[in-house]
Amino acid sequence: MITWLTATDHKKIGIMYIITTMVFFVIAGILALMIRAQLATPDNDLIPSHLYNQIFTLHGTAMIFFVIAPFGLGLANYLVPLQIGAPDMAFPRLNATSLWLFVIAGIITFLGLATYGGAAAYGWTNYAPLSEISEGTGVGADFWLIGILLASVSTILTAINITTTTFLLRAPGMTMWRVPIFVWEMIATAILILMAFPSLTAVTLMVLIDRHLGGHFFDPAFGGNPILYQHLFWFFGHPEVYVMVLPYFGIVTEVIATFARKPVFGYVGLVISAFAIAGLSIGVWAHHMFTTGAVSNPFFSAVSFLIAVPTGVKFVNWIGTMWKGSIELSTAMLFAVGFLFNFLLGGITGVMVASPPIDYQVHDSYFVVNHFHYTLGGGSMFAMFAALFFWFPKIFGVKLSERLGKWCFWFMFVGFNITFIPMAFMGLEGMARRVYTYPNVEHLALLNGIASFGGVILAIGVALFFVNILVSAFAHVPVPANPWGGYSLEWATSSPPPEFNFETMPPINSRRPLWDAPSTQGSGP
Amino acid sequence: MKTFVGLFLSSTAFGAVILVAYWFVAHEETTGSVLLAIMTAALAFAAVYAVIAERHAHIDGDGQDLTPEDVKGEDLGVYTTHSPYPILLALSCLFMLLGVLYSPILAFAAVVAVLLCLWRLGAESARV
Ligand SMILES: [Cu+2]
Repeated sequence: MITWLTATDHKKIGIMYIITTMVFFVIAGILALMIRAQLATPDNDLIPSHLYNQIFTLHGTAMIFFVIAPFGLGLANYLVPLQIGAPDMAFPRLNATSLWLFVIAGIITFLGLATYGGAAAYGWTNYAPLSEISEGTGVGADFWLIGILLASVSTILTAINITTTTFLLRAPGMTMWRVPIFVWEMIATAILILMAFPSLTAVTLMVLIDRHLGGHFFDPAFGGNPILYQHLFWFFGHPEVYVMVLPYFGIVTEVIATFARKPVFGYVGLVISAFAIAGLSIGVWAHHMFTTGAVSNPFFSAVSFLIAVPTGVKFVNWIGTMWKGSIELSTAMLFAVGFLFNFLLGGITGVMVASPPIDYQVHDSYFVVNHFHYTLGGGSMFAMFAALFFWFPKIFGVKLSERLGKWCFWFMFVGFNITFIPMAFMGLEGMARRVYTYPNVEHLALLNGIASFGGVILAIGVALFFVNILVSAFAHVPVPANPWGGYSLEWATSSPPPEFNFETMPPINSRRPLWDAPSTQGSGP
Repeated sequence: MKTFVGLFLSSTAFGAVILVAYWFVAHEETTGSVLLAIMTAALAFAAVYAVIAERHAHIDGDGQDLTPEDVKGEDLGVYTTHSPYPILLALSCLFMLLGVLYSPILAFAAVVAVLLCLWRLGAESARV
């Protein structure tokens, strides 16, 4: 136990990161089921409104700050040193500090539930002055702000660590233009974090100052400005979307190339598009503020449309990688393809809401809920499961059951689409997000009923994943170094890798060192 | 020029371009211009540091034809495997924030703890 609490080894830190995100994933998933239970029928009073506000706030907060974003960082902690042939991260102690700041941040945020006034209840966006003056301004709200503040600092420290590691600790021959795409996507993510996250640190501090130290940054009664809050928040908030997506682009690229048995198609294009997405994403923050009437809608709309171009480039690359490959539909590959399907749908609704006239109509409606769940749930979450199935044997030395894995995928894929497709239509029929109930008008009762039914199927799929872990751990079939026939360096060392990662390092003469040397190609599936 | 220096330089250039474009379209909305200006300045700082640091950097990974054999016997320094201070530092940071909000004594104690942890972390890394 103590050896884990004091560990600075990047693999142990990565494992603790991933396990923590899985715990919060289950908690946030249960909160989502509670939301769907409340909304299953119109005029429902199963969950009281003040509790409902806490539930959707914690669901969003947990999924964004404690699941999807940190899973990418945790996986990078584990994989980046292995993929570039380094013995550890550049700053192991800083790395451990990031981990514990993150774990403590998650715990303190949820501890709000145990306080007298309950947890924060103003949505994950924490809009001021709502977060300063009305319900939910108790200790629970303070805990939320402290949690997010600590999480933001933790994320910045991790970004510094990842950039330094990839720039300085690559093995001999592993030039920048030979590192796997996952590493490139993490560099883009890290630089994006360095650009955007200081704004989050600042804005949470400012709300705390307003609440406790007599500040008036966002209080119009004293000359403060609530729109300032939205600027500062979304200057972080939109890039955060790509912090939650770029690592998953990397995962999908590695999985697709491995299971299509082909080199990544358009390596340079993938790298450039990653930086184009990261760069453009810092110029679009106020597309979340179209309806305030206080921002330049043409500027933010135009830049938002532009993001579709590098994202389209990535789709061409992924399809090109699969084209005429000898594709093996393993569970990880299924999840990667599921990601392509769902993320494309999320991207299309994204282009729609980037248009101010459409956004005025669907702003704060379930149409938007449909949109971002397709990108972050159907997109990132599916890629997260692709990563779990793909790298589980490397991390734990045990292969997950493929049979159960495929059941897990199909339940999740079908359940996800049944849950979230109806939400687009709810939104078009005028159902607002974040309301705890709705009247029995139009088709809202039917659509919500279908969505809640889909939620149960999705939950069964997720539960099957944890059943799979138990079953596979019990069976405990040991795996070779390279069970999937992968090409990057992490597959050159044993599963799990020894301390400091490599007993011997294969020569690195290309982007696929393991496919160059016949002896290390692995047993294959 | 090494790739990562180019990365920071081009990020800075990109920040400057988007700042100018934003100023051109929406200069009456100052918040955005200020945010982009601060961000570009911070990137420029990192880029300048990268340019200077590059002069003294010998990075094995940049040797296109280097093999593991070539760097045998090179001193990689000592990698730590355990330290109790990261988790203590994180806890102290939490209590520092709680203290600022609710209890000056707690805040003071936590600041002392933060400084102690930082000092011990510094001493640890100096030892290797
Ligand atoms: Cu956005």
